Amino acid sequence: MLKLLTYLLRNGVVTQTEAMLPLSEASLGMPQLSGAACLGESCKLCRDACPTDAINIVDGSSISKTFISLDRGACINCSLCIDLCPTKSIVSDRDPRTAARTRDELVLNSPGTSQHSSAQTGSTSANPFKRSIACRVVSTGCSACDQEISAAANPIFDMERFGVHVVASPRFADVLLVTGPVPKAMHDPLKRCYEAMAEPRRVIAVGTCASSGGVHRDSYSEANGVSDILPVDVFIPGCPPHPMSIIAGLMLLMDRLPVLSDRK
Amino acid sequence: MKIAHSRLELNNRHSTINKLVKEDGMRIGLISSIDGSQLLTVLIDPKNGELQIFETSLESHHYPSLSRCLPSAHWQERIVWNMFGLVPEEHPRLKQVLLHEPYSADFFPLRTVSGPFEVPERPHQGQYQFLEVKGDGVYEIPVGPIHAGIIEPGHFRFSCLGEVIVNLEIRLGYVHRGVEKRLTEVNWRKGRFIAESAASDSSTAYAIGFAECIESMFSLEVPHRARLLRVLALEVERVGMHLADLGGLAGDIGFLAAASSFQRIRGIAFRMAELLTGQRFLRAFICPGGVVRDVSTAMLKDISASVSKLQTEIPVLTEMLLENQGVNDRMRGVGRVSHWLALDFALVGPSGRASGIEYDARQFHPDYPDFELALQTEGDVYSRAVVRAIEVQKSISIIESVLDKLCNEESQFFLQLPEDLPPNAIGCSVVEGHRGELVQLALSDQSGRIKRYCFKDASVNNWTALAIAARNNLVADFPLCNKSFALAYSGHDL
Repeated sequence: MLKLLTYLLRNGVVTQTEAMLPLSEASLGMPQLSGAACLGESCKLCRDACPTDAINIVDGSSISKTFISLDRGACINCSLCIDLCPTKSIVSDRDPRTAARTRDELVLNSPGTSQHSSAQTGSTSANPFKRSIACRVVSTGCSACDQEISAAANPIFDMERFGVHVVASPRFADVLLVTGPVPKAMHDPLKRCYEAMAEPRRVIAVGTCASSGGVHRDSYSEANGVSDILPVDVFIPGCPPHPMSIIAGLMLLMDRLPVLSDRK
Repeated sequence: MKIAHSRLELNNRHSTINKLVKEDGMRIGLISSIDGSQLLTVLIDPKNGELQIFETSLESHHYPSLSRCLPSAHWQERIVWNMFGLVPEEHPRLKQVLLHEPYSADFFPLRTVSGPFEVPERPHQGQYQFLEVKGDGVYEIPVGPIHAGIIEPGHFRFSCLGEVIVNLEIRLGYVHRGVEKRLTEVNWRKGRFIAESAASDSSTAYAIGFAECIESMFSLEVPHRARLLRVLALEVERVGMHLADLGGLAGDIGFLAAASSFQRIRGIAFRMAELLTGQRFLRAFICPGGVVRDVSTAMLKDISASVSKLQTEIPVLTEMLLENQGVNDRMRGVGRVSHWLALDFALVGPSGRASGIEYDARQFHPDYPDFELALQTEGDVYSRAVVRAIEVQKSISIIESVLDKLCNEESQFFLQLPEDLPPNAIGCSVVEGHRGELVQLALSDQSGRIKRYCFKDASVNNWTALAIAARNNLVADFPLCNKSFALAYSGHDL
C-alpha cells in the first residue's frame, strides 16, 4: 500500500493543463484545403487514391475556378491525399476541433478556407446541457472510437473536468455517443436505447463510420452511419478521432468549444 | 512462408484432416469456402509455420462435420454455414453466429455461385434459440447487446443457480459489417484500409497480415527495413493493448490506482505509435510492398526515449499489480481453462499460452529471431495477466533491438507492386496479434482482382474459452473472466 501511494505521489498530476492543444507534429491530423489552386481533372490523384471517395473535383473553366470538395465525414485520415497533392491544395490540419453540428459542415469546399462555422454559432442560453452532461456510449463498430472515448476519460485528457460523465444506462443519460457504422443487427438495439432516454436528449456520432459509414458504406449490412437511424446533433469525424477531438465535439454540444492553446 | 495447395476428396477429408491434426500436430488455421461450391481448409504446422491448403469440391450443400472429432472446428463451421449455406452434418450445435433476424432466411452473403446445387434456407429465422438449462432454481440473466461499459455489442445469456453460472451462451454478430465481401468489391490497393478497420485493437496485425497475404500472392519479399518497421509497429501495438488489458483487469476488481496508472503509461505507447505512424492506432502505415513512409532517425530516437520511460515504469507497475494480495485473491483460480480443453478448442494467443499451449505465431516468423515464449500453466485469470505482463516486457526488448537495427541501416522501405494481382493466385498469412493468431487467405480471379478474402481472428477460437471459463464461476467474476481473454466482437463479426 505504501509503495503504491509513493508511486502515485511521485508521478503527481499528469493531466494536460490546457483544454485544447494542436495535435503533435508527428500526427497526421485531418486533411484541410489550403486555398492553393488545384490542377483539377488533369491531376485528380487525390480523388483516385481516396479509399472512401471523400474527395470530389469539379473542373472549372480555369485553374482558379476549379473546385475541390473534401468530405471529412467520410475521411479516415489516411493522409494519402496530403502526400499525393502536387500543389499543396490539401494540407494537414492539426486542430483537434473537427466536430460539426451538421453533416454538411463537414464537407469543406475550395476556394475559401475551412472555417468550422459551428465554432462561431453563438451560444444560446436555452441550452440545457451547458454545464454538465451524462453520456451513454453505444458501440456498433470496430471499437477504436470507443477506446478513444475511454482515453478521453483517462487521467491525461480527463473529460470529467469539463463536466462530461460516462454513465451505464440510457435511463439517466443526456447524450448518446454512438460509434461505428451501425450495421443492420444494431439498428433496433440503437433505436431502443435512444427511446429509453428521457427528453431532452442529444445524439453525437463519434468517428467517421458513425458519421457516414466510412469504409463500410453501402455494404449489404446497411452500415451507413447513425443519421440513417437517429437524428444527430454533433458529428465528430476521424478514424478514430483523437480524444481531444471527442472532447471538442462534446463541448461543442455544450456551447463551450474551447480555444486552442499553443503547444509549448 | 511455405504454402502447399492441394485437392482433397470429400470422402477422405475427415480422416486426412483428423490424422494431420491429431497425429502430426497440425493446427486448423481456417475453414471456409471460395464461392459456396467447395470447402477450403488451411492447416498450420506450429513447428515451422508451413501451411497446407486443402480444397474440397462439394456436390451437395452438406458435408460431414469435423467438429465431433476436432472441436476446434465447431465455430468456423457455423460461420461457413452462415455465409455460404453449407451445412456440416452432425455438428454438435449448429446455430447462427453472424446473421441476425433482419437478414432474410435465404440470404448467404458470400455464396456467389448459383450451382451446382441449391442451399436450404436458414431455419429459426426470427427466433434465436438459446440453450435452455432446466431444473429447480435455475434462472437466466440476459445481458446486452448494449453493455454497461464502453465496449462492443454482444449478448450474453447466463443460466445461473444462485450466484453461480451453470452455462453461458454467447451470441455475437451484432457488428457484422460485411468486411470480407467488401474486400472483393474494391481495388486491392484500397483493401488495406478495410482490413485495418476490421478490429481496432489489432489494426496493425490486420494490416501486416493483409500486406503479407498480398505479397505471398506475388511471391515477393519486401525490403528488410520495411519488415523491421512492421515488427516495430506490431510490437508497439502489442505493448499498448496488453497495457490496456492489464489496466482493464485492475479496473474490473476496483483497483483504480493501478487501472489509471496503466492508462497513463498506455498513453506513452500511444505516443510511440503516433511518432512511428502519425496515428495512435498505427493505421494507414503498412501497405502491401512495405510501409507508406520511412521513419527518420530523429523520430526513432524519440521512440527510443519513450521506450526507456516504459522500461522503468512497467516492471514497477506490473509488480504492484501482480503481487497485490487483493489481486491474487480475486484472480487466482478464477475462470480456469484446463490444458486439455485449451488443446481441444485450439486456443491461441495469451489465453492459450496461459493454459500451457506452446504456440505463438512469432516462433516461426523469420523477423523474430531468438523468440522466447511466455508460458504459464494454471489457465486462470491470473495466469493470463502474468502472460501479458511477461509479453509486454519481451516486446519492449524486441522494440529496442529493432530500433538499434533501424538506426544503423539505411535502405529501401517500399517495393512497388504491379497494378494487378497475379491471376488465379492464392495468398495466405499468419500474424500473431496481441490477442493471438490471425490467419488471412486471399484468392484472385482471372483478371487479377480479389475474388475471395477471408480472415480468422483469434477470437473465433477463444470465444468458446470464455464460455468454458465462466462455467461454475460467480456471476460477479464474469467481467474479470471476460476481460482476461481480451476478445474482439468486431474481429469475430467482421
